[in-house]
Amino acid sequence: MTTSTAQSQPAPAWLLQREVALCPCGCIGKRRKGSYVAKTLSGASGVLRQAMSSDDIAAQPGLLQRLDPRIKLVSLLGLLVTVALLRSLPLLAGAYVVTLVLAAASKLSVTFFIKRVWLFIPIFTGIVVLPATLSIITPGHVVLPLWTWHGQPQGFTEQGLHSAGLIITRVATSISLVVLLTLTTPWVRLLAALRSIGVPRMFVLIIGMAYRYLFLLLDTVDDMYTARKARTLGGGGDSAAGRRFVAASAGTLFGKAHQLSEEVHQAMLARGYTGDARSLQVFRLRRIDVVWTICAAAGAVALLLADRGLGG
Amino acid sequence: MHIPDGYLSPQTSAVFTVSMLPLWWQSARQVRKVVKSRYVPLLALGAAFSFVIMMFNVPIPDGTTAHAVGGALIAILLGPWAAGIAVSIALLIQALFFGDGGVLAFPVNAFNMAVLLPFVAYGVYRLLAGNAALTSPRRVWSAAVGAYAGLNAAALATAIEFGVQPDLFHKADGTPLYSPFHLSQSIPAMMLPHLLIAGLVEAAVTAGVLTYLQRANVPVLRINAPNVALTPAEVARRPVSPVRVGMVTLGILALISPLGLLAPGGAFGEDAPEDLDLARYHLSAVPTGLQKYTDFWGNALLPGYGDGSPWQYVVSAIIGMAAIAVVAGALVWLLRRVRGGEAGAADIDGGSGVDTPPVKEGSGSPA
Amino acid sequence: MTEPVLACSDLRYAYLERFAALDGVSLSVAPGETVALLGANGCGKSTLLKVLDGLIFPDSGEFHAFGEQVLEDKLEDEQFNKGFRGRVGFVFQNSDAQVFSPTVREEIAFGCLQLGLDRATTADRVDDVVSMLDIGELVDRAPYQLSGGQKKRVAIASVLVMNPEVLLFDEPTAALDPRTQFWLIELLHQLRTAGKTIVLASHDLDTLPELADRCLVFSEEHRVVADAPTGELLADHDLLLRVNLVHERSQLLRR
Repeated sequence: MTTSTAQSQPAPAWLLQREVALCPCGCIGKRRKGSYVAKTLSGASGVLRQAMSSDDIAAQPGLLQRLDPRIKLVSLLGLLVTVALLRSLPLLAGAYVVTLVLAAASKLSVTFFIKRVWLFIPIFTGIVVLPATLSIITPGHVVLPLWTWHGQPQGFTEQGLHSAGLIITRVATSISLVVLLTLTTPWVRLLAALRSIGVPRMFVLIIGMAYRYLFLLLDTVDDMYTARKARTLGGGGDSAAGRRFVAASAGTLFGKAHQLSEEVHQAMLARGYTGDARSLQVFRLRRIDVVWTICAAAGAVALLLADRGLGG
Repeated sequence: MHIPDGYLSPQTSAVFTVSMLPLWWQSARQVRKVVKSRYVPLLALGAAFSFVIMMFNVPIPDGTTAHAVGGALIAILLGPWAAGIAVSIALLIQALFFGDGGVLAFPVNAFNMAVLLPFVAYGVYRLLAGNAALTSPRRVWSAAVGAYAGLNAAALATAIEFGVQPDLFHKADGTPLYSPFHLSQSIPAMMLPHLLIAGLVEAAVTAGVLTYLQRANVPVLRINAPNVALTPAEVARRPVSPVRVGMVTLGILALISPLGLLAPGGAFGEDAPEDLDLARYHLSAVPTGLQKYTDFWGNALLPGYGDGSPWQYVVSAIIGMAAIAVVAGALVWLLRRVRGGEAGAADIDGGSGVDTPPVKEGSGSPA
Repeated sequence: MTEPVLACSDLRYAYLERFAALDGVSLSVAPGETVALLGANGCGKSTLLKVLDGLIFPDSGEFHAFGEQVLEDKLEDEQFNKGFRGRVGFVFQNSDAQVFSPTVREEIAFGCLQLGLDRATTADRVDDVVSMLDIGELVDRAPYQLSGGQKKRVAIASVLVMNPEVLLFDEPTAALDPRTQFWLIELLHQLRTAGKTIVLASHDLDTLPELADRCLVFSEEHRVVADAPTGELLADHDLLLRVNLVHERSQLLRR
């Protein structure tokens, strides 16, 4: 008697034999770079994972970590508004330097912080602001003529460059402030802070769940590309079968994700969850919160007053 | 379509914040009434789905990117208020964790993509679909047209919000303080890619998933349309598990993903931030994308072309792009026929169609 | 006879309106009783437990708990919700679904805080349960860092801390190592002697005599085919064979 049971079919003979893998092991020197999309996706889930579960950074004994999350959220929103109101380039640059100081005071690696922020800027702002530096979009005093049009020199204008500088510095400072908030606050406490500043329960509940799904969706799509890559090893091949395979494996994963998420929801309901995430940790305002609030408010007012004097 | 912080004056953000607050409050109320707690996972899934769809974007030269949103589909399945919540949440997560779209600009982005888009899409869909059976083809093309109109309405709103900035907020010497692009520049720059690409992607995703649901899972279609009578054929139909629905949704995502290859090697493209080199983003990212683009089309359309000299890449890239152009052209032609040659006009309708009456949901509980 | 704590009559439930999971199931559980639900995989045990915990609602039939009918609508009422959730605790089969908080301490405190207990009382209760279940060294760790057995202990702690009258266990001993299994059986004993009402789903017949007073057997057609004291039921080999609870080569039949 082999491993099969009395009722079931006997196992096929090949399963009971030892055999080498379907393809021989080893390298033959033929390699491909990872798929662009796969990289995009795994990069995305990587950044997301890093962003959302940066609990080790959030657990460090830094300045911002010690603040009450509600105070942090509200004060950073206030600083964002201040930055948006500034009209002077030197003051904006100064505000950016302040965010670096805050990062250092919160035990963040400053190089990591700078990279993290500037990663976003070229894509969402850098490229698109370039045409606005030219006289065709922003007319004004041409500082670097590139060509002439009807006898008028055309090129970079002072106004265009100044405007681009304003935008890029402002975007960098704004993103820095947001990154400071998300890096120094554990996800759960951030949700609780959102709830306590008046975001409806329903939203907080869905945000919490959406984030769990997000990883699973990104991983799933990522896997689909990996699978497609594996399928097209030799180039060409049976693409219909490949698609079916990809869809099936992705579907299984997706189904599991959905099921797990639904069960988590039920488990929360079973213990009395009605949309309000309560935490054992007490939000208590301490002296550091008061000091911080005063400093932030004073800084914001000083910046705005200075801006009145310098800008215009 | 995500407006970053720094492009809009805080005054603009303030106006939108004040107008969004009652809308969010109302959507939370509506959803609690219509969707009920057991559909919360579905809404969360919608938010995640919208997030992933928005990742596939094409940069356009006025400070934004073009991409589908997925809001039209959620509006049709769960109602426009629910879509408002799902898309708002996707936008919030993007703003907080990716820096994609600003935090101060979040209410503006939410107005464009989470309110305007689903309501225009849903309004057009309900107008065109009438009382057709849940599994009729009429529902599918109505949804596609609605999605196209909704996305372009959102794009137009974004363009206008940008375009008014330099006239309203500038220094004495004319230096724009916020977005430097005027209406005459921002509208064409926004509308062209949305009319040509993103709108079609939104329409294709919506119609594709809907067609699949018609065959596979009619109960899901009934969540937001409990009063539409079922035909005997629909009653007899055997529903398929949500697992397969998910499969197909992701399959459609995979099919539209070549469009995402046009996006620059952005924040998401690099695993290691140490590699960060600004010049690379401008100079070599798109070619890398192009090469992979070639890979995809090479494998899909021209087996064997993907592994050799640069010439083959170029050839298959050209063929790939031509294929996209043909498909896009055919879809535009089809839409024009379907809508009596008014494909262009509908967007203006959509833009002014903020007051398209949202069809009131019946109080009947979901099936 | 005392009034039953849980009473179901003629429950029917189908997933996606089509795949039946319960087909006319009735059940009545007296206070302090331990009832086991037996049946092969997919026969509807988990579905019944979820109905008993007010997580899903039958398509037809009624479910009463503590003398009141449980309806989706009523559970939206804050008072009723707190009353019901506080008196019925559910230990899921999949511990991964049940531990979702950032730390073990937060996880265990979750239920009490949701039910409106103040933080100081909650913290005391958490400490008591932690020492009772001997998981003191785990409290500051993240649930995803735990082993399967540890997760199960945390999941049980997070339910016990609410001190429910009725405990529902879905496959409590499945996928646990022998030591944890033994520990769990001991714990269930303690809970029984403490007067808790327990309903558990299982297909592990070996441990049954120690666990349950009474057994309900589900057929693969999603109906209850037997309802008898444990000893009596385990002697009925034909029945066990028919409902696919034992295989003809199982140890049990050789005894």
